[in-house]
Amino acid sequence: MTDAPSLVPLGRRWWLPQGPAVQRAFFGGWTIAVFAFLYLPIVLLVVYSFNDSRLNLYWAGFTTKWYGLLFGNEVLLRAFQNSLIVAAATTTLAVIIGTSAAWLLYRYRFPAQQTLGLLIFIPMVMPEVLMGVSLLVLFVSLGIPLGYGTLIIAHTTFCFPFVLVGVQARLQGIDPSLEEAAMDLGATPLKAFWLVIVPYLMPAIVAGALMSFTLSFDEYIVTIFTSGADSQTLPLKVYGMVRVGLNPQLNALSTLFIAATALLVIASQIFTRRKTL
Amino acid sequence: MAVTAATAVLPTGPSLQRRAGLGPWFAVTPMLGWLALFVIVPTLMLVVVSFCERDALGRIVYSFTFENYTRAFDWKWLKILGISVWYAFLTTVICLVLGYPVAYFIGRSSERVRGLLIMLVMIPFWTSFLIRTYAWISILSHEGLLNALLMTLNITSAPIGFMYTPFAVILGLVYNFLPFMILPIYTSVEKLDGSLIEAAYDLGARPARVFSQVVLPLTQPGIAAGILLVFVPAIAMFAITNLMGGGANPTIGEVIQNQFTRARNQPFGAALGVLLLAIFIFSLWLSSKFRRSEQE
Amino acid sequence: MTKHKTKLFAAACAGALLLAGCGKKDETLKLFSWSEYVPQAVIDKFTEETGIKVAVENYSSNEEMLAKLLAGGGAYDLIQPSEYTVQAMIKEDLLQELDQEKIPNLKNLAPEFRNMPFDPNNKFSVPWMAGFVGIVYNAEVVPGPIVSYKDVFTDEHAGRIVVLDDAREIVTWGLATAGIPINDVSDENLATITPLLKDWLGKVKVFDSDSPKTAMSNGDTDIGIVWSGEGALLFAENPKFQWVMPVEGVHMFVDNLAIPKTSRNKDKAEAFINFILRPDISKMISDEFPYYNPNLEARALLSPEQLNNPASYPPGFDVTSAQLFTDIGEQASKVDELITTIKAQ
Repeated sequence: MTDAPSLVPLGRRWWLPQGPAVQRAFFGGWTIAVFAFLYLPIVLLVVYSFNDSRLNLYWAGFTTKWYGLLFGNEVLLRAFQNSLIVAAATTTLAVIIGTSAAWLLYRYRFPAQQTLGLLIFIPMVMPEVLMGVSLLVLFVSLGIPLGYGTLIIAHTTFCFPFVLVGVQARLQGIDPSLEEAAMDLGATPLKAFWLVIVPYLMPAIVAGALMSFTLSFDEYIVTIFTSGADSQTLPLKVYGMVRVGLNPQLNALSTLFIAATALLVIASQIFTRRKTL
Repeated sequence: MAVTAATAVLPTGPSLQRRAGLGPWFAVTPMLGWLALFVIVPTLMLVVVSFCERDALGRIVYSFTFENYTRAFDWKWLKILGISVWYAFLTTVICLVLGYPVAYFIGRSSERVRGLLIMLVMIPFWTSFLIRTYAWISILSHEGLLNALLMTLNITSAPIGFMYTPFAVILGLVYNFLPFMILPIYTSVEKLDGSLIEAAYDLGARPARVFSQVVLPLTQPGIAAGILLVFVPAIAMFAITNLMGGGANPTIGEVIQNQFTRARNQPFGAALGVLLLAIFIFSLWLSSKFRRSEQE
Repeated sequence: MTKHKTKLFAAACAGALLLAGCGKKDETLKLFSWSEYVPQAVIDKFTEETGIKVAVENYSSNEEMLAKLLAGGGAYDLIQPSEYTVQAMIKEDLLQELDQEKIPNLKNLAPEFRNMPFDPNNKFSVPWMAGFVGIVYNAEVVPGPIVSYKDVFTDEHAGRIVVLDDAREIVTWGLATAGIPINDVSDENLATITPLLKDWLGKVKVFDSDSPKTAMSNGDTDIGIVWSGEGALLFAENPKFQWVMPVEGVHMFVDNLAIPKTSRNKDKAEAFINFILRPDISKMISDEFPYYNPNLEARALLSPEQLNNPASYPPGFDVTSAQLFTDIGEQASKVDELITTIKAQ
């Protein structure tokens, strides 16, 4: 007898995914293992943020002094802030450009469609130093001063392909009647896109946004060549630190940041009203 | 492999594609403009520079020469390129195997848990790359946690050198690229129609068959996207391979980086970069031709 | 969610525009330095005492600095080139001559640093910190005596060696062992030392220029050739890490402050240079970076612990005997290619 799928009644065991129990156990266990792998160095990093030792080679006692020092470290905090601003702006732009481009390429036939598709991959393939230097030369020859603007442009350029590819994948096999139905009811293509397609694409957009943010937040090489004095981001400060040993204040900063984000996410999931029954 | 994935994701013109009217043209102009200014122009500059020379200080001298390319077509550089591609391939395969079940689990979870889990996949990577990597170094090093654990459990009696080996390199690469495999696959899994799977079970199929005949084909776009988003950037990656591998096996990304720093030979670096681009685009084009002839 | 993002983006744009509009650029001193080489405390004190604001941008290699400078990115007022870069820049007329009347504290420098071959009489540059490249080893695991480069690359040490990931450095050790002047990197000389380097590099476990101390302190390597600053940090952490200056000859590097031709704030830059030459300020730098301080007056203020660190201030070592790098121009590419090729095998 084959395993009958047990449809878990929602409301009681809402946290379990659908499928046979064995399957759930297997996939669930695998997921836990992978998450353990992902978080192992993070746990270590958090532990070290409380370590009373500058070089973090062994445990020397518990302390919260790095957190205290962090709050006085204006340079590091400002760099962190810059990273956040740049990453947020980059993500927004990348999502807008990537999503709309993916939809337009899917929906409409443009001349030289194939070429366009290929061009999009260039920022992904090109080594960062090449992109950084060539963009620097471009900005200088156009007379654009280096700063937030140039940095955001540079980051967006290599981030939006990630959004685009993700959205394109989600578009494959989309039910064409979705859009047709909306237009039959009198919506313009633009409205149909916004009210019907975008919600459908939302998981891909969110995935693309997460990837863009991560890529931009940690980008070093392109940043070196396209940033100005007022837009020094966190990686620029951090990369030089290895010479004297990475400052545990960094650990404190990272701990606070991911703790805050995780809490935010958990809170938002608990407090959002369930959209479907 | 990635190339096939790329063409799987490339728009191949379904029958409902319309010819672009004014509206769509207007909408696509920003992206076209962006591509033109920030992708095409820098790429063209790169191509131009690759045919130039440079002076003693490393400044570019605009005199035409083929020497960078003749120099690039040497076994030593191609070997390094081959190693980089190999590492990228291994990384992609391992990420796929490790990441697919996770994406499946998260995608089939209830809505609340889904959002939470997918964010939790990405959050570790909002710490700085360097402290993450140094955390791994302190786990894998001679006097690190892993060896301490193994010796305490009496599994080994002497420390094993995990660090600065190909194992460490692949671990570092897989670690950093795993979310980029999980997220795209998740977006495909998430839209899976549960009733399809139910129907397959109802018809008497065993789980393995349901998986290979129903689930896998339906999630294929996500898999293709994941492969693309891991394999392609991984080729030019060098920071991870350098830190985890101890710099003993340079990758093509490192070689190009060196041309812009220590070797002061930007034209050569540009030539190598152009070659990399050319190889990639050529294989993409080949694969799309192959696909199209398949479809006809 | 999209609404929030739009708001944030708008805020970011507004912020960017505001900052762009801030026309204070010409009053700020733009410092382009190695990451983490200029202590923030020093910068803050400078601003406090003179009222001049300092905008700092960082880089992590001389060539990166050159690449950005030459491409026209940012009119920097102060840069921190190493000695061979200073030499190359002087040759290409990229630096401004210093007005020594504005820098009276030059007298605090040790005499050997007042007249270095790459910039006689400090016409264009002022030494910031100097250092050496030498041998460090874990005395608990490695029995002595270790005195030369050859002693590092023995079969017993195979797979337990860390060296700098710097092609020019590696070639220097080969040249020194072969008795060839270290700046004579002609093709013939490179070919001569290639077999030696092939033998050596096959035994190396880690190549690391950023933090070679990591491999040493983690126990992944027992012996290595590293910067003196790294050696000093290791020694300060645990005296089992011994430091040795190789007998074939030591070379010294000197990082300097210089003013690029594109700077428009020469007097402010000179004020900064004069400031860091003060003994108390120079001491602050030494406290953070245990390299060799060329400032005699500052050295007088250092603690015995700092002065007794054999990697920072090698006992009995005659600084004037140290060799300096000269600029090798296009050969840098050949050197890099040689090492990359050997590594890839």
